[in-house]
Amino acid sequence: MKFKVQRENLLKPLQLVSGVVERRQTLPVLSNLLLSAEADKISLTGTDLEVELVAELKTSVDEAGEITIPARKLLDICRTLPEGAQLEIVVTGDKAQLKSGRSRFSLSTLPASEFPSVDEIHGMRQFEIGQGELRRLIERTHFCMAQQDVRYYLNGLMFEIEGQSLRSVATDGHRLAMSDLVTSADVGENQQVIVPRKGIQELARLLVDDDERVQIHLGNNHIRLQLPGLRFTSKLIDGRFPDYQRVLPKGGNKLLTAECAQLKQALIRTSILSNEKYRGVRLQLDNGRLRILAHNPEQEEAEEELEVEYQGDELEIGFNVTYLLDAINAIVGDKVTISLSDANSSCLIQEPAEGSSKYVVMPMRL
Amino acid sequence: MIIHVDMDAFYASVEERDRPELVGRAVVVGGSADGRGVVAAANYAARTFGIHSAMPAAQAYRLCPQAVFLPPRIKYYADVSRKIRHIFERYTPLVEPLSLDEAFMDARASERLFGSSESIARQIKNDILTELGLVASVGVAPNKFLAKLASDFDKPNGFVVIHEQDIQPFLDPLPVQRLWGVGRVGARVFDELGIHTVGQLRQRSKNWLCGRFGKFGEHLWQLAHGRDERTVVPDRQAKSISHETTFEHDIDDVNVLKSNLLTMTEQVAYRLRQAQLRARTVSLKLRYADFHTLTRAHTLEQPTHATDALWATANRLLDQRLLPLSAPVRLVGVGVSALESTQTNQTDLFAQARDIRRQDVDRLSDDISARFGRGALRRGRTLKP
Repeated sequence: MKFKVQRENLLKPLQLVSGVVERRQTLPVLSNLLLSAEADKISLTGTDLEVELVAELKTSVDEAGEITIPARKLLDICRTLPEGAQLEIVVTGDKAQLKSGRSRFSLSTLPASEFPSVDEIHGMRQFEIGQGELRRLIERTHFCMAQQDVRYYLNGLMFEIEGQSLRSVATDGHRLAMSDLVTSADVGENQQVIVPRKGIQELARLLVDDDERVQIHLGNNHIRLQLPGLRFTSKLIDGRFPDYQRVLPKGGNKLLTAECAQLKQALIRTSILSNEKYRGVRLQLDNGRLRILAHNPEQEEAEEELEVEYQGDELEIGFNVTYLLDAINAIVGDKVTISLSDANSSCLIQEPAEGSSKYVVMPMRL
Repeated sequence: MIIHVDMDAFYASVEERDRPELVGRAVVVGGSADGRGVVAAANYAARTFGIHSAMPAAQAYRLCPQAVFLPPRIKYYADVSRKIRHIFERYTPLVEPLSLDEAFMDARASERLFGSSESIARQIKNDILTELGLVASVGVAPNKFLAKLASDFDKPNGFVVIHEQDIQPFLDPLPVQRLWGVGRVGARVFDELGIHTVGQLRQRSKNWLCGRFGKFGEHLWQLAHGRDERTVVPDRQAKSISHETTFEHDIDDVNVLKSNLLTMTEQVAYRLRQAQLRARTVSLKLRYADFHTLTRAHTLEQPTHATDALWATANRLLDQRLLPLSAPVRLVGVGVSALESTQTNQTDLFAQARDIRRQDVDRLSDDISARFGRGALRRGRTLKP
């Protein structure tokens, strides 16, 4: 195998693909990238057995071939070479020689045949949406995904498709985020898929905020996205997502509307003196007025008062302030509406005009 | 050196201390003598009549009708226990309470401050007597196993120190059932083998013991040589909570087994709730008459401290992964691990109405236990037919 490539052309795809490679590996070949060269292009593949990313770029290939080389080292070399550098990579025997100007590197390799490839994808269906649209679905919900929960099906983001609707839902059992998108074309019959946390994090890095289309392939066990020059594949979590419809609060008769920025600042200040571990704050609602209180084990106390739109009975309720802030940060627009019913029931946070996203947060007992 | 402190006839002594008119009389603390209650504690005067803890109160009454029978005041004893613990903590933070009246301590790191472990142990015994008016038996030895034997050796009001060179002379003459894990039934097995004392057991090779009793044989061999590697684990860092019981007679009736398991599950769940913890993993331990031992564990989706939820898991583990029994059972145990604090008070989106009802039942049953003593309210299944 032998090819030449401009540093700037290689660096971006190399960074993306290396991002998938986990630092700690059980299988040595997983810390390598699969490099293949044919005709006038090369492709780079990184995988952690759950998520696979393939980047393709045009360049002049002298001799086709396939090999795997250490991802981290190749990336570090490319990063530190001077701007505009020209690289030549030649594989001879079990070494990959990398030359650029007066620099020479000889890297160890493992045969391409040892590199794991994704199982064949069955039961494929396809549709297209804008990159920006998909990116927003992820941005508005991903922070509610669970992390290493034994309820493994919560450690990911659930996409639900039906007709012209695409919905993303994430929950860690204490709070839930849901965002809706109306697609231009019919995407087909109802289906729920759960994309693991790592896949979502990678996707969030790949997608750009514009109208460029992304092709989504949905298999029984995989999701695949085709982007310009990049192919992303992730296994799906094999499990049933909980019935999220059931936990969307319906009877919230106490409506609070506040300025997003004002409420956010007040919460941030109060949180400084909340318990560092449990992050509890106490909300007290009265006609047109919201008080936020916090105290910590050192007996320090914080109190904020702000004017809000609220008419209803007095109410006192506790929340994890991080959950409230995460939701308010994801709200688009200047105002936020919070519907409550009592101190033991969840609240619903959304944009005043019933926007495309909804957030449910369970209270803390005071 | 490890210190083991064991309060003498704790509940009864607390009552005697508070009511001087009781001194010299037989005192029995426990359920009422006309009901189905059991003796929770008996003072030494009562013990001379053959009364001991866990005996039905009615039987105790027959043995000594003139004894003073008192209802237990668990909350109050727990308060006294806390005061005792404060005394321990003056000398070392490494305190591992086993129950209200018993604890291990590792004071080695405090020796430069307070003198040798032996002298620390003396100070503790003395502090408990002068400040709280209660008598403790204390054992000081190179490890937990020996320290516990030592505190028991000269009870009541004992103070026994076992030095490295005294270990074998101390252990060898003891009957084998003093080894941790060998109960009355185990002793019978050894009897048939002509092994009556620890010294006789020690003469056997490790291979012989392992061949006969498996892993438990290795454990016995270590104990017979006075070895015990367990460290003192302070309560607040508890990684697991468990209860186990060795039956007086080997059990082959699954219903009896289940009734015992449920009782232990209740106790484990109660301790979880008291410690404001929830557990994710439930494990079962089952030892057959031939000492063949099995353990099975299951991890729950959501951590819980509900007796019902823990029992459902334990029961399923037994049904699906341990039954049918291949031989009579000599020991069962239930334990929980992967513990999480409940102090967050964060409520759960997917909690079912059932979970909330369970919490109500548990809270009520804990309140009743605190007021009337453990066993005042019991699940039907734990009652013997």
